[in-house]
Amino acid sequence: MTIWRALAGGFVGTMVLTTVLRAGSEARLTRMDLPFLLGTAVTSDRRRAKVIGYLAHFGFGLAFALIYYGLFTAIGRSGWALGALFGLVHGVFSATALVDILLPMLHPRMGTPFTAAGSSPLLEPPGFLMRNYGRSTLLVTLAAHILYGTIVGGFVGAGH
Amino acid sequence: MEELVTSGDSLTRVSRRGCDRVDGYAPLRDYALIGDGRTVALVALDGSIDWLCLPDLDSPAAFGELLDARSGGQFAVRPVSEFEVERRYLPGTNVLETTFHTRTGVVRVVDAMTIPGADLSPQREVVRIVEAVSGSIPMQWHLEPRINFGSGRTHFGLRAGVPVATHGATALALCSWGAGQPEVKADSIGGHFEATVGGRAILALSVAHQEPLVLPCRGDVESRLLTTEAMWLRWSEGLGGGTRWRDAVVRSSLALKLLVYAPSGAIAAAATTSLPEVVGGERNWDYRFCWVRDAAFMLGALLRLGCVAEADAFFWWLMQASQRTHPRLQVLYRLDGGTEAGERTLPLAGYRRSSPVRVGNGAAKQIQLDVYGDLFQAAWLYAEAGRPIDPDIGHRLAEMADLVCDIWTEPDAGLWEVRSNPQHFTQSKMMCFVALDRALKLARAGRIPSRHAPAWQVQAGAIRDFVEENCWSDSKRSYVRYAGTGELDASLLLGVLFRYSSPDDQRLRGTVEAVRRELSHGPFVYRYSGEDGLSGEEGAFLTCSFWLVEALAVQGRRDEAQELMARLVGLANDVGLFAEEVDPATGAFLGNLPQGLTHLALIHAALAFPESDVQ
Repeated sequence: MTIWRALAGGFVGTMVLTTVLRAGSEARLTRMDLPFLLGTAVTSDRRRAKVIGYLAHFGFGLAFALIYYGLFTAIGRSGWALGALFGLVHGVFSATALVDILLPMLHPRMGTPFTAAGSSPLLEPPGFLMRNYGRSTLLVTLAAHILYGTIVGGFVGAGH
Repeated sequence: MEELVTSGDSLTRVSRRGCDRVDGYAPLRDYALIGDGRTVALVALDGSIDWLCLPDLDSPAAFGELLDARSGGQFAVRPVSEFEVERRYLPGTNVLETTFHTRTGVVRVVDAMTIPGADLSPQREVVRIVEAVSGSIPMQWHLEPRINFGSGRTHFGLRAGVPVATHGATALALCSWGAGQPEVKADSIGGHFEATVGGRAILALSVAHQEPLVLPCRGDVESRLLTTEAMWLRWSEGLGGGTRWRDAVVRSSLALKLLVYAPSGAIAAAATTSLPEVVGGERNWDYRFCWVRDAAFMLGALLRLGCVAEADAFFWWLMQASQRTHPRLQVLYRLDGGTEAGERTLPLAGYRRSSPVRVGNGAAKQIQLDVYGDLFQAAWLYAEAGRPIDPDIGHRLAEMADLVCDIWTEPDAGLWEVRSNPQHFTQSKMMCFVALDRALKLARAGRIPSRHAPAWQVQAGAIRDFVEENCWSDSKRSYVRYAGTGELDASLLLGVLFRYSSPDDQRLRGTVEAVRRELSHGPFVYRYSGEDGLSGEEGAFLTCSFWLVEALAVQGRRDEAQELMARLVGLANDVGLFAEEVDPATGAFLGNLPQGLTHLALIHAALAFPESDVQ
């Protein structure tokens, strides 16, 4: 179990997660676009937002891999199955607290109940379980995060 | 009631009447076009957007009232009471202004699709601004989207208090200011308000595809509309100078610009699918593809109008798309350059029950030999204008010329894509000759490899021999539709326009005369006589009429050409747009609209007159 394996797993896992979310979008299951959401938090320029968003997305992917690594170390166990379980919890957390509550609070262009009439365009908020972005968004998100966790867990556990 | 009004340097057609819908369908003549370079919307005279494909021009429709008046979907803004209408584009722009005259006052609606700026703006945005000119006018608006051709249920709801409609990966939000309280129902969103002088109501339709919606604020919407108007004015500045038909050329150029799919540079043949060539008939095709046939006309028009950036984009798109089928050319390609255009039918009623409604186009897999001549003419025009042809493209063009040498003897479906048996169409053979002739010119100019030029020369001569021996009728004093027939074909006019021979050649002069004599009906020209494998008869093909103008002009018959041109320009609808065909008996538009080839032919015809003809 090494930190490098966790980072490698985080990188591959984020690639897979991104691909699954994109595939879900192409399959018309969701309008969720995480890089767009992340990027527009720092710039209103669409092109820059996409680039920055993808970089931030990969950064978060690596950061979460480190968190997984810390949990694996604390428990003293790792492996793809445990990673998948972490991914499921991670996915539920993302769909509820992270994207539904924290992101609108932190995102300067996203409306919340505290937002008054402003001059900046507002991004559509994700809503409970991100259902505003499509009814299947939760399923796609959970599947993507479970895959992410499985890959990170698998990479870290491969050291045993 | 219709009159022409000259306003400054622009000719504005003013039509003051109501909209006469039949079974819910507006006459095709009643539609104006707005767009943003990715998609377009058709706005009826009565203020209803009856056609809008999302997110792109060749995507499924979200508003498809045009093809199904019961369940197609629309976005209407109009007075509650009876009205008469006058309409125009703001000069030099694709911003539409519709003025409704009612008993209680006059109200103006400005429609545009905005061009995004650097700020965070919706993926696509339709803006409709309502201002009273006089009096007080009760207004109503109604948004009834049926996303993806209504293939599944569109869901309605609210986001941050804004009404939205969603289906799959596409969502629409309707932001409104001063337009009354929106009412969200199970299958639509609507509202009422009173338009009064000094007030301004704004309806902004924000579109998102595969991303969260952007819900703009009022200031940004108004700012984008101003920026959009300024952009169109900049773009159209200086277009069409030196021609008597400047206004028609400018309007045609602006319409064509809306048919150009900006992400790739391709031009759609028209903005719509399945508008019938015969009302109630089966001649209903999807024109939201880019035809190689249009290439030479497009390149020629763009270069002559000084639109070099668009010419570069189009030529490079053409060469990238054709690379996928190299060395053979497909008849048409998708706007993104893709080759798949599988044809299928949709469960929609069709415009005035003209079914089937088709998406995709089976003509993509036809063999049409004329496209090689079109591509080589485009390449020659591009090279002649001093634009670069890189060695790889030059090599590919040479390989295509080799292919033409091998395949020109085959029968084909011809320019008109007939679905009857393949024939040795004369125009196809002429265009094969044009292909090899331009290949030889390019080789002599050092723009493409010349190693096989002697073979091209030999085959060009063989093609000419074939045409002169088999495709000429002494009795008609004309080239004929295909080898061994006595039928005529207006596409033979292209022999003059593409310089198959000198325009003064007696046989080409005879052909122009025969087309005029046997295929013309007043200013209208039918495409051909004889069978095409489909039932029913079509209207007159406006492109052929403009080709006739150009042919007459280059043959020195300028008075006749000017007279015909004047009659044709007068056939445009109230905002200067043309469909594919016109019913000679009623003047009604038929077929898809606006038809890019018609507007291209208009521009070429207008530019065929020397500047000394400007009055």
